[in-house]
Amino acid sequence: MKPSSSSARIWRITSIASIVTTLLLISGFVYAINDVVNPVGSSYTAESSTDSAAQNGSQAAVDPATEGIRVAALGDSLAKGTGDDEGSGFVRRTVNLLQQQGVDAKLVANLGINGQKTGQVIESLDESGVQHTLRQANVIMLSIGANDLFNGGEALGNLDEQAPTANQLLTNQPKAAARLQKILDRLAKINPDAQIIYLGLYNPFGDLKELRIPGNQAVSAWNMKAAGITNTNEHMMVIPTFDLFQNNLDQYLSADHFHPNGDGYEQIATRIVQSIR
Amino acid sequence: MNSIWPLVQNETIKIIKKKRFYVILLVLLVLVPMFTYAQMRQAQENRTKFGDDWRTELQQAITDNQNSLGSDRVPEEWKKYRRIFIQQMQYYLQNDVNPNEPGGVTFTREFLNNSSSLFIPLLIMTIASDLVSGERTGGTIKMLLTRPVRRWKILFSKLITLTMFVSLIVVSTFIICYAISGLVFGYSGFTIPVFTGFQPSEAGVDMATVHAVDQWQFILMQMGLIWFVGLTVGLLAFMVSVLVRSTAASIVIMMAALIAGTILTNMASSWSSAKYLFMVNLGLTNYLSGSPAPIEGMTLPFSLAVLAIWAAASLVVSFAVFTKRDVMN
Repeated sequence: MKPSSSSARIWRITSIASIVTTLLLISGFVYAINDVVNPVGSSYTAESSTDSAAQNGSQAAVDPATEGIRVAALGDSLAKGTGDDEGSGFVRRTVNLLQQQGVDAKLVANLGINGQKTGQVIESLDESGVQHTLRQANVIMLSIGANDLFNGGEALGNLDEQAPTANQLLTNQPKAAARLQKILDRLAKINPDAQIIYLGLYNPFGDLKELRIPGNQAVSAWNMKAAGITNTNEHMMVIPTFDLFQNNLDQYLSADHFHPNGDGYEQIATRIVQSIR
Repeated sequence: MNSIWPLVQNETIKIIKKKRFYVILLVLLVLVPMFTYAQMRQAQENRTKFGDDWRTELQQAITDNQNSLGSDRVPEEWKKYRRIFIQQMQYYLQNDVNPNEPGGVTFTREFLNNSSSLFIPLLIMTIASDLVSGERTGGTIKMLLTRPVRRWKILFSKLITLTMFVSLIVVSTFIICYAISGLVFGYSGFTIPVFTGFQPSEAGVDMATVHAVDQWQFILMQMGLIWFVGLTVGLLAFMVSVLVRSTAASIVIMMAALIAGTILTNMASSWSSAKYLFMVNLGLTNYLSGSPAPIEGMTLPFSLAVLAIWAAASLVVSFAVFTKRDVMN
């Protein structure tokens, strides 16, 4: 049986191609096994990485005059917007309100993480990604401290067990306040031109009889301390929320009795918009 | 030995003339543009949200995953994946390397990563499932076996042909993928650094062995591992095609096994002996990118050993049955 010329051509091309590819793939296979089984760690140094990092630093700070309002948010579940049925939170709602007013506002990123405490935020500020994101903004919104003070009282369902005692509310304060100071200082260093908005605390336990008065006292004391820190820097301010929620807990708190609901976040956002303009 | 190459030649020409290989190329030529388009739309959407700022985009992705770690409703299994993802992405950010640098090469790398456990094995089945049962269905098996050639030689020639086409399919997938996605995303990116060597550990990822390789090296490793997966699946499909009379039946059997594999991979973490099944070991490329194995205790050498044993067993069965069985219609 003699193959026709077309068959001979098919055979020649296919056989050569398959031999070449098989050898290539076997070498890749051996390389892969070796690389996975005997990995050699080495720190990565790219020729271009210093370039782009430097570039990155110079590009980073946005020019408020041309860029409009660029918002980055940092902190706990309030920054993230937990409790809001629409998932927006005060950060997104602030941006939306500004846009409705015709302002060129944009949310760069929301780095809020549920349950974060001051210590975790300090750690996160060392991450290059977080720093980069904060540098892209000219308004940085920070909500932190509630979990330090209330000892993570947001663990839903077992509120009765988790609700702090009056004593706890006060003992947690000094250290947390020192960490808040550290966070705000770091933020000002990372992005010196940005306006830093710290969201004051409210007392979510105002509807528990035994915690109403000590809670109010503790939260007020905290807010005073926060104001004491922000007043030393012209780019910082505290947006108060204490009075907003004091007598409106049933109206502005979500079902978990800790986070604001959509209406509550909307009220906070309205206040921020008033302060920014 | 001198009579084996004409047989291989004969088999090769049969596969080409039966247009099996063209069907595979056609499938790739139709599907890859679809994936490319989907990827393009996604990239466009991200660009409107984050601009060209991949660092912020990546940081937001990290934060989103960190948020899910706190939730009690997220299974521990998923949290492990996410913790590893977070650590890897933070490593990329620290070193100022974009893990998803847009480009045809990056797209090809992602595509190969996703196609190693199902898509490419399916393509290979197209050829492997038909090799012997196709002769039965077409009735040509008698002519083949009445020739004065030993039966094992006939089977062996089919096997060599299968290996050749496994290689060709893997490389064609790469070429078509790169050529088409490059039209949209550009053809550069072979020297972009990719990190490999992440060792999943108790706490998350062990970074001690992480190192950067160029993207082309990464893709070469991927293709090598996919080739081995393809060869194993090919041998299994080949065995089924010896055992079963009709091509359709042999394709259905293999397809069911492969699809069962993808389902098991997603839910078998508590059934640990499932790791000895070949179909949960097909995701070899995951060991390169450092995603955790679907079942505790799986490593690259383990998966390779499991696949090799299955492949060897199917070889033995194929030869034993093919050389003994009577040919009756």
